[in-house]
Amino acid sequence: MGGNIIVTGVTSGIGLGLSTALLEKDCTILGIGRDISKLQRQINLESNKQFFFESFDLSDLGGIEELINNFISAHGKIDGFVHCAGIEETIPLSMYKVDKVRRIYEINVFAAIELLRIVSKKKNSNDGASFIFLSSVMGALGQSGKVGYCSTKAAILGMVKASAIELAKRKIRVNAVLPGIVTTPLTEKLFSELSEENISRIKDMHPLGIGEVGDITPVITFLLSNQSRWITGQSLTVDGGYSIQ
Amino acid sequence: MKISDFIHGLAEELEIESRLTANTNIKDLDEWDSLQAMVLISYVSEYFGVSLTGSDIHEITTIESLITKIGPERFEQE
Ligand SMILES: NC(=O)c1ccc[n+]([C@@H]2O[C@H](COP(=O)([O-])OP(=O)(O)OC[C@H]3O[C@@H](n4cnc5c(N)ncnc54)[C@H](OP(=O)(O)O)[C@@H]3O)[C@@H](O)[C@H]2O)c1
Repeated sequence: MGGNIIVTGVTSGIGLGLSTALLEKDCTILGIGRDISKLQRQINLESNKQFFFESFDLSDLGGIEELINNFISAHGKIDGFVHCAGIEETIPLSMYKVDKVRRIYEINVFAAIELLRIVSKKKNSNDGASFIFLSSVMGALGQSGKVGYCSTKAAILGMVKASAIELAKRKIRVNAVLPGIVTTPLTEKLFSELSEENISRIKDMHPLGIGEVGDITPVITFLLSNQSRWITGQSLTVDGGYSIQ
Repeated sequence: MKISDFIHGLAEELEIESRLTANTNIKDLDEWDSLQAMVLISYVSEYFGVSLTGSDIHEITTIESLITKIGPERFEQE
């Protein structure tokens, strides 16, 4: 496959698994995350000459442009971008004050739009590039304590459709992936707050069982590749059947 | 936070009609359900930075036992 790909959330879970898969496909990666130690356990940064890590807090929205420009000056235009960085939280509506709402929007939505704005500029990306955003089945469904998470993930779906139309003239494609529950540090944290009974209830709600990172990454690499060249503006659910019931 | 303020704040967040004391068994409250458990987890996390787990919630009975879980040393003197 090759090409220059930006991956956010590269230090953990889906972003980390995806980066490992993309390195095997000869891609050059700008990986964005904060905690390098988590990354070093999985990817040898010394020997991987095609992997460039930037420790960056994406809530610093004003600094994103410089970060992207620096990579492009050194390595050339972007062929793909995957926004895996995201936060999940369970907060009851009665306690969801606006500063908390703003915090989850900053990472899940505002950073996504700002990255898309910058990366989609003609000077920054090649025609035919592919951009993928991690939404969630929760972007289409609801659950208590998830007003922030569900609404940010639903916002992604709207953003994907609108930008897919705007960027189609350059054959740039924009799609969303909606995973069900996949075992990552994010879901480990979520499960730690739940009783055994609730955990097994959630597991039972996935007809094919709970997913692994490797169940999601092939879908993303397909969407990045030219094989999906006629797919744009879509919300692709990958959830072991969770949402069909 | 003082224990009395904690109990008062918790009663507000849980929207409890009856009087809440250190000896109240939260699971005996009419209002108690899984949503209330979520409010309790968020309240404790916000004010003490302590993440109660699913099994902590299972073990808690009275407000006093909740305070023991959080750590009595985290509370100010009355
Ligand atoms: N796992 C699931 O079951 C599941 C289901 C549906 C949707 N999703 C979505 O898929 C995406 C990836 O999930 P995951 O399970 O792989 O999550 P994860 O293991 O918790 O990883 C989240 C990543 O986001 C990064 N991140 C968080 N806040 C950041 C910030 N302020 N600045 C920069 N980076 C930040 C983290 O970097 P640091 O740790 O280095 O800060 C980490 O690399 C998320 O958008 C999530 O909502 C996941």
